Amino acid sequence: MSFVAYAMILAGGVGSRLCLLSEKRAKPAVPFGGKYRIIDFTLSNCVNSGIFDVSILTQYRPLSLRNHIGIGRPWDLDRKRGGVELLQPFQGWTENDWYRGTADAVWQNWHRIAERESEHFLVLSGDHVYRMDYRPMIEAHLERGADATIAVAEVPIEQASQFGIIRTDEAGWVTEFLEKPRNPPSGKISMGVYVFRGAALFQALESDAEQNTGHDFGKNILPAMVGRGRVAAYPFVGYWEDIGTLDSYYRANLDLLRDDPPFPLVDARWPIFTPSTESPPARIGARAHIRSSIVTHGTIVNGTVERSVLFPGTVVEEGAVVRESILMGETWIGPGAVLDRIICDKRVHVGRDAVLGTGPLIPNRSCPEHLSSGITIVGKETRVPEGIVIGKNARIAPDLVEDDFPAAGVASGDVLERGSGAPSAPAGQTRR
Amino acid sequence: MPSILVLVLAGGRSERLHALGRMRPASALPFGGKYRVIDFTLSNCVHSGLTRIGVLTQYAPLSLQEHIGIGRAWDLDRRDGGIRLLQPYVRQRETNWYRGTADALVQNRNVIADAQARHILVVSGDLIYKMDYGPLIERHEARRSALTIVTTRSPEGERDRYGVVEADTAGRVRALADRSGGAADEKISAAIYLFRGRDLMERLADPALGPDLVHDVIRPMIHEGLPVYADPLDSYWRDVATIPSYFGASMDLLRPRPPLNLHDPDWLIYTPSEDRAPSVLGGGGDVTSSLVAHGGRIDGTVRRSILFPGVQVDAGAVVEDSIVMHDTWIARGARIEQTIVDKQVRIGEGAEVGVGTPARRPDTLGDLESGLSVIGKRAEIPARARIGRNAMIESGVREADFESTELAAGSTVRPRERRRR
Repeated sequence: MSFVAYAMILAGGVGSRLCLLSEKRAKPAVPFGGKYRIIDFTLSNCVNSGIFDVSILTQYRPLSLRNHIGIGRPWDLDRKRGGVELLQPFQGWTENDWYRGTADAVWQNWHRIAERESEHFLVLSGDHVYRMDYRPMIEAHLERGADATIAVAEVPIEQASQFGIIRTDEAGWVTEFLEKPRNPPSGKISMGVYVFRGAALFQALESDAEQNTGHDFGKNILPAMVGRGRVAAYPFVGYWEDIGTLDSYYRANLDLLRDDPPFPLVDARWPIFTPSTESPPARIGARAHIRSSIVTHGTIVNGTVERSVLFPGTVVEEGAVVRESILMGETWIGPGAVLDRIICDKRVHVGRDAVLGTGPLIPNRSCPEHLSSGITIVGKETRVPEGIVIGKNARIAPDLVEDDFPAAGVASGDVLERGSGAPSAPAGQTRR
Repeated sequence: MPSILVLVLAGGRSERLHALGRMRPASALPFGGKYRVIDFTLSNCVHSGLTRIGVLTQYAPLSLQEHIGIGRAWDLDRRDGGIRLLQPYVRQRETNWYRGTADALVQNRNVIADAQARHILVVSGDLIYKMDYGPLIERHEARRSALTIVTTRSPEGERDRYGVVEADTAGRVRALADRSGGAADEKISAAIYLFRGRDLMERLADPALGPDLVHDVIRPMIHEGLPVYADPLDSYWRDVATIPSYFGASMDLLRPRPPLNLHDPDWLIYTPSEDRAPSVLGGGGDVTSSLVAHGGRIDGTVRRSILFPGVQVDAGAVVEDSIVMHDTWIARGARIEQTIVDKQVRIGEGAEVGVGTPARRPDTLGDLESGLSVIGKRAEIPARARIGRNAMIESGVREADFESTELAAGSTVRPRERRRR
């Protein structure tokens, strides 16, 4: 039968370039845009495209993803037939191993694909922000009789080296697939959105499984399939952002705040679904100033907020100033605190009159390649002490308490971990 | 805890809601930016551990039915108990609409009997309050009360709407007078009644019973000397079945220290959350002292107002001291003051509503004399229209229904060809 009604979403990656954000959760579970998680975009694309049978392959820190997806009710994926399931690595009678790569994850779960009636199916990535109707791509795939069809987006050539580059002939067949080349020949890149003919993918995965490769779709499977023949390209036009790095995460969030956003969250024809938290409407106080920002349910704003994204339950007290920052759920910003270009993970507590994101622009010393544009990041549930000064490109670990911070503050580019704060001062004698 | 059945009276048509009540009872009125009025009662029930609930509906029940569904938002989709909507139905002999509150209970006698509850809590669905019913039930049991009437102090300005409870120092109720005389320290009935199950069932079985709960059940119980006690509720309580009381209770939420805190994590008000994007406050937007729900886009000025999901306020538009319900669009340069705007209304560019001084209204809409205006569901206000204060724009009004774009204070606009309700 030639129809496509099943999708596998790859959601197992560590996402190390997101630094702290993915330290406690898988990349697709990273909060985005005020109330979403990154995987919501792909899941919503599936159901809006009429695909209600979805498996999500997880491996790294799946708990927050599991909590988020639940039985799939927000996406209407709590179904008797189909629905959503999370596939975690497991111990079997003969094989037992962690997934060795994205291709291995699909290979180890091949029985789930084999059970489906459809001959073709989708393989998607769980960490992209985009709206896409998969149906025209599926139609093109079936019409051409392709073994695989790759959705292709165009990015500025200087960014292209982070992606798989696609070269096609005039008819749109892929002639070359270069994974993350140093000098990309063009900005035509693979979006990590594929339609496969089951038998063709089975062959490719089977031979890959026996070889000593990275077992990766981009590095191994697609280049091998291109060598063998019928791989088509499908051009995608529209907003597409791979939330691979802290900078791209930050940029994609701030893009939402433009008066003419390239990716509007509101689109009645293509809604993005997510579990809504049970909280009251945002409460905006008499002395609040809010400009170009996203506010969500449960937030309370009495201070100044500019060009920022406030997730549910965020509180900005009077006299506090929050600029170009992303504050995840239930963060508290004390009176008089000033934040510039800060990403606060969930349940961070910023003491009164603390100043975050000031000083010279020095790249972070532990991850200079990912933390150099001036963003300071504060890990989950950390309590930032009153009146402290924290520089730019700093990285503050999760779960710290006030006494973990040195009285002199945290300089630009510094990393603060538990115990690295005030090495000589005995506990309780640090400050105040 | 003893077994308790809750019956929520949510069926009444509220004449005094005018355009807001055309398609819904007061209990289904949107309130507080994302809730409906009945959510407060239902949330009280589940926070108090009462999970066997019947909702008696009659007038325009569809919005309530859709809202409550199977009760999932309140965790009331239960195997045992849960929530049920009780609509009048046709029977083999003698079919009738509910003729009153007592009659509604009589017609559902079987359902009530099946619950085999030791006590039956009968509450109005038109109330905004937070209350743990647990201590009430304890005192009711300790006193061996046949009926406990919860009392409150009457909110200012509205005293004539409520029955007055006269009780002795021990709390024993001696009389329930029809209307308040107006004294500020009077105890009035909060429309929350806890009956001992068998006492209520006995009365409902009387074939000669009149249709009204207060007149035909409660008052006779007092007069016959049954143990009826008053139980004071000291916290915030409002009946919102009129336009001024609805507006007043809404504006109470915007005070710096609101008398009823929606943000209390220990007593959340549950409601089915709509799937909407977060709200975006644009570069030219200016919002203060307001509640803003999801899905909105605000580029104009909003002060002391409540915006429900999906409201759009364009650049240069001003909304002050107003309540704006779902998906209403206030176009560029428009100005709204002291107005309750129902769902899906379109306010054209540069239009003004509720600006200027109030006037005496010629009709029965005395409720609007405070200066409030009301715009009914899906009405369209033409661009650059100037509508004075205490105006009543009925639901479904189209631009063509306006004879003039200049309307004096106290005007009413109806659709030309009024459809039969």
